[in-house]
Amino acid sequence: MVDQVQKEFRKRDLLYSGALWLLSLILPDPQLHYRREYRIRKRDLFYLSVLLLLPLIWKDVHFHHLMVLAGIHGILALGLTLFLGYAGQISLGHAAFFGIGSYTTAILTTRYAIPSFFAFWASGLAASFFAYLIGKPILKLKGYFLALATLGFGEIFLVMVRESPGLTGGVIGIFNIPFFSLAGLVFDTYLKQYYLVWGVLSGLVLFSKNLVRSRIGRAFLAVASSEDGASAVGIDVGRVKLAAFVIGASFAGLAGSLFASVMSIANPETFSLNLSVLIVMMVILGGMGNLYGPIAGAIFLTCLIDGLSRYQAYSLPIYGVILILLLIFFPDGIGTRLRVRVIYLISYWGRKKRREKVEI
Amino acid sequence: METWSYIPQLLISGITFGAIYALVGLGFVTIARASQIINFAQGDFVMLGGMMTFFLLKGAGLSYPLAGIFAVAIVILIGFLLHLLVIYPLRKASLPILLMATLGASLFLSSTSALLFGTLPKSLPPFLGRSSFEMGGVSISPQSLFVLGATFLVLLSLYFLSHRTFLGKAMEASSTDPLGADLSGISRNLMIFLAFGVSAGVGSIAGIFITPVFYVNYYSGTLIGLKGFIAAVLGGWGKHGGAILGGFVLGVVESLSVAFIPSGYKDGVAFVILLLILHFRPKGILGSPFIDSRRW
Amino acid sequence: MLLSVEGIVKHYDGVRALNHISFQVRKGTVKGLMGPNGAGKSTLFHLISGVERPDSGRICFKEKEITGLPTHEISRLGVGRTFQTLQVWGNMTVVENVLTGMHSVIRGGLLSCGLSLPWIKKREEAAMKEAKDILELLGLFGRWKWFASQLSYGEQRRLEIARALAAKPEILLLDEPAAGLTYPEAKQLADRLLRLRKAGLTLFLIEHHMGMVMGMADEVAVLNNGELLAEGPPDVVKNNPLVIEAYMVRR
Repeated sequence: MVDQVQKEFRKRDLLYSGALWLLSLILPDPQLHYRREYRIRKRDLFYLSVLLLLPLIWKDVHFHHLMVLAGIHGILALGLTLFLGYAGQISLGHAAFFGIGSYTTAILTTRYAIPSFFAFWASGLAASFFAYLIGKPILKLKGYFLALATLGFGEIFLVMVRESPGLTGGVIGIFNIPFFSLAGLVFDTYLKQYYLVWGVLSGLVLFSKNLVRSRIGRAFLAVASSEDGASAVGIDVGRVKLAAFVIGASFAGLAGSLFASVMSIANPETFSLNLSVLIVMMVILGGMGNLYGPIAGAIFLTCLIDGLSRYQAYSLPIYGVILILLLIFFPDGIGTRLRVRVIYLISYWGRKKRREKVEI
Repeated sequence: METWSYIPQLLISGITFGAIYALVGLGFVTIARASQIINFAQGDFVMLGGMMTFFLLKGAGLSYPLAGIFAVAIVILIGFLLHLLVIYPLRKASLPILLMATLGASLFLSSTSALLFGTLPKSLPPFLGRSSFEMGGVSISPQSLFVLGATFLVLLSLYFLSHRTFLGKAMEASSTDPLGADLSGISRNLMIFLAFGVSAGVGSIAGIFITPVFYVNYYSGTLIGLKGFIAAVLGGWGKHGGAILGGFVLGVVESLSVAFIPSGYKDGVAFVILLLILHFRPKGILGSPFIDSRRW
Repeated sequence: MLLSVEGIVKHYDGVRALNHISFQVRKGTVKGLMGPNGAGKSTLFHLISGVERPDSGRICFKEKEITGLPTHEISRLGVGRTFQTLQVWGNMTVVENVLTGMHSVIRGGLLSCGLSLPWIKKREEAAMKEAKDILELLGLFGRWKWFASQLSYGEQRRLEIARALAAKPEILLLDEPAAGLTYPEAKQLADRLLRLRKAGLTLFLIEHHMGMVMGMADEVAVLNNGELLAEGPPDVVKNNPLVIEAYMVRR
């Protein structure tokens, strides 16, 4: 009798662990970033192959377009997560760096006919330059005041853009930005743009992975956890924060450049506070201190907004309510919490079965 | 020479706007004195106060004072609901999450108001006719005086509430030392709940008084709220007098700036002031009692 | 003289926390700092490590003035410290805490770290080996994959010391290393610290454990109400009437 029950258990345990393994392939481990054994692992290859095959399987143009947007948002969220999720600082002005990147590309390609490949890198540099200038004075602030200061920077950026029509086209913006092109290959269809955007994103993920596991990434985490402890071992807290801010901004600048050359328009309305809030939401809902989470959050929120847009006037109130509910029920990220819940459910199911068995 | 003759008139309008910013800033200060939360939906209370009064006056046909009182009551109710439905469930959440939640609430309130009251800008009639009187070559509308009077009254009552009553002391205790307040039998959540009601009331009063001065739109809450917040920071975060002083300084500087730089930059002025004050004196003009202890 | 403090004064809102304190720590010795609660011991540590600035006076490390330098620069010069209230990074594993302690030792810029260039990899591997050695020394090797937040209180204290050691300090300021430890744990810690001292490290510790200080220290200084009551070898200080009064009679 006992032997039989134990055999049952073993079979069932195998089933549970199999289920958990499958789960771990899809949902990121909530504590993945703590274990800094970052190499290219099975999970990365799995994600990469899904990424490559998805648009070929699902040949819907609208889906391709959505994924292009999601990829750009993903780059933004990836940049912000280094600042918010790893270094533990908040920024509500990230959209401004996105805007700086966009306008740099727009101006360079339309006015000076510079190839978009060079404009792409120039955008990243321009955004990080401005981040360096603005970050020096404001990064000594913390919490709400830092949020407010970065928000103020974003608003000042918008006012400057609107009030200098000679440079940025004012409220109307800049049109007819040429598509991204590299060595004669023009990225003019959504499918090509999909591979462009997600290719850039994959490269940046690799960069961030290396960074996060290196001394710089450890310094980020140390500053987020205890600034006193960090400075006691010789970490220059101000410089580390500035580094996180500048990297985040340069990612945003690159994303902005891609956005300009994909949408072929740069308009101040795009870079408002709403976008900054959206990026922070992506990072929070994706799970902080995790590189894949924010990208998943970007895909999720981009699809959510697209799905809601059919309700027109009702979409914004619904969106607000959904955001609040998600924050209340998944405060540490949808993936993290969902994984915990699913694991709990599986183990609960297992326990229940066992209890029934033993009672017999 | 031309610009200098405008200065007195600009000063008057600056003071009026300053009083509005001060009122909005007082709402922030009320919550800050009860908890560490900053409610980014504060500006939407202002917008809702104006919108509700307009709706009750024009739509439901109530008399002006009655419409105002009902509007304040409704907005206070919304403030309570905001706490119960958003802030209370997140009482243990970290700062970015609370921040996002209040921003989400702000989004919800403004878009719902667009849905209910329409997207057209609204303006209330002034309290006492439309005529403005001349004084030394400057025209002053009676509404400005009403706004100043309301600011003064709200300041007095809030000051009395927080410095002379037990409730105010309990609120401050629960802000400066949450655990200690809990241990000495002060219900922190109740204090925050009440603070949200009070600040919603202050915000809606501000909304009722300013809607006759300028048009209120469903999205104007965000900017007013931010400027009120800047006023509170400028004067000294957490101090009633600071919010008033900061509000007037901000209003006057912003108004006078129109004489010297293109008017399109006017909205940027407040944020430039914010960055300057945060860099050079984060404690604000009067010195904040909260900044050092929390290491902001 | 490795560390010398001359005429330090520090006020807090009119309260005089430290009043013209002067003393020296010689290289390779263990110096104990004692005193009742509120005597200004932790304030002194904050001043030396640069967390706060003295109102007047000079602090010199290796004949070089360090008064008013930022904390991280003082740390890079070779002053390591631990905290009275623990400041371990709970969001990292134990070995990563130690690796982060080596922040200024490892070197490597933003771009080269992001691109994971070969020399960065080599340095990381060497650092990992060294971090494990340090953990071995403090008896934490068995826990190297754990999160710092999962460790017990005593282990976290040791982790802080390990982290400070990783930065290769010449002097280690220990703020109540045995606070909250049981007697055998404290004894074990004292043995480990003495082993560090044999390896050439200078120690400067605040401690309430009378027995631990008297057993370890070559020299003891006693603070009371911001004044230096007595200084000298443990046996002499122990019998100083002023010290006895400060510790016993006032209670």
